[in-house]
Amino acid sequence: MDDLQFRRSIYADPQCADEDIINAKASDPSKQKFAREIEQLDQQILNALKVPVPDDMAQKLILRQALDSHQQQKKKKRIHLALAASVAFAMGLTINFMQFSNAYTNMGDYAFAHTTHEAAHFSNNDNATVTLASLNKKMASFHGSFSDKLGELIFADYCRFDKMKSLHLVYKGENSPVNVFIIPKSEHLAFINSFSNQELNGKSLQFKDASIIVVGDKTESLQKWQENIKSNVTWSI
Amino acid sequence: MATKQVRYEALVKALHADLYRYAYWLCHEKQVAEDLVQETFLRAWRALDSLKDEKAAKSWLITILRRENARRFERKRFDMSEYEEATIIDTQSINSEQDIENHWLREKIGSLPEEYREPLVLQVIGGFSGEEIAGLLSLNKNTVMTRLFRARNQLKDALEKEPEVRGTYNG
Repeated sequence: MDDLQFRRSIYADPQCADEDIINAKASDPSKQKFAREIEQLDQQILNALKVPVPDDMAQKLILRQALDSHQQQKKKKRIHLALAASVAFAMGLTINFMQFSNAYTNMGDYAFAHTTHEAAHFSNNDNATVTLASLNKKMASFHGSFSDKLGELIFADYCRFDKMKSLHLVYKGENSPVNVFIIPKSEHLAFINSFSNQELNGKSLQFKDASIIVVGDKTESLQKWQENIKSNVTWSI
Repeated sequence: MATKQVRYEALVKALHADLYRYAYWLCHEKQVAEDLVQETFLRAWRALDSLKDEKAAKSWLITILRRENARRFERKRFDMSEYEEATIIDTQSINSEQDIENHWLREKIGSLPEEYREPLVLQVIGGFSGEEIAGLLSLNKNTVMTRLFRARNQLKDALEKEPEVRGTYNG
């Protein structure tokens, strides 16, 4: 290794432990001397570079970090509190909504639900026991009456129709009973002309103070029932 | 949480002095150097989970510090060359032979070009190899070695040129 290259390497890195550098040092005393000089220079440089560090620096760094993480935790706590409050608020709203709102939005839905719920109690083979007179007695509370029988009436009584007092009539139908509901005008149930699901059809008639809903199975001609009702019912006042 | 705290404190204790000195030679001002180190360790704390290899901690911190230093210039642009040489002098009282020499050499190191000084500080204080310095400064290794050579060469020349001047301090 020539002298220039050796000097360059030592200047660049006095600690250099490459094999050829070590060999060069070992074989040439002048090179060794030079290397020692530069090592000494490096020691001086190291001493000079080691400027005094402020005494309390480490403590300050730890303090600053402690404050920072405290701040972050406080922020997190606030977020958690806000989250808990929002969840509680949302739950309150939901419960309120579920308890005090109406489950059905239109009369068709409710009529089907009511019919299906009570379907087990009625059969087309039941005896028709209700007379026109007793039906009209009940109709009186809706200020209405029927001039003639609509069909063979199995059952007639007041029912709760989504919390409203209504009259529930069950007639014999073609294959299964036909349900007729007389309900007062309602604000929370939307009037709906005709409605159906897989098994049942329904049709509604709207009068001045009441609606009449007919629900029957798919074989039933609800049109005929409606016409029949229209021509038979009279409303006082 | 506790282990993160322990790691952080160990990191501070082991490396704050080296980092402060590196910062000092980067900006030549004690207060700025201290602020840089504060900012660096705060960022290190927040990102401590991303430090996987403890051996890489020093170069990781130095990278953060260099970025902080660069940010300082984006915020407030001022020219390094306008710095008075006096500001880089250690103002502590000089009383021993060793202190005088350090004092004198500090001036010389302070007046080295920035591009020579930074690799030198990283090598001597940081104990980084040529490759590692090249990685930190995004230079190739040959450039780094040349700069290290020139830095020492200039310091040696300066030392040899001014022995008499140094002597007068003793009087």
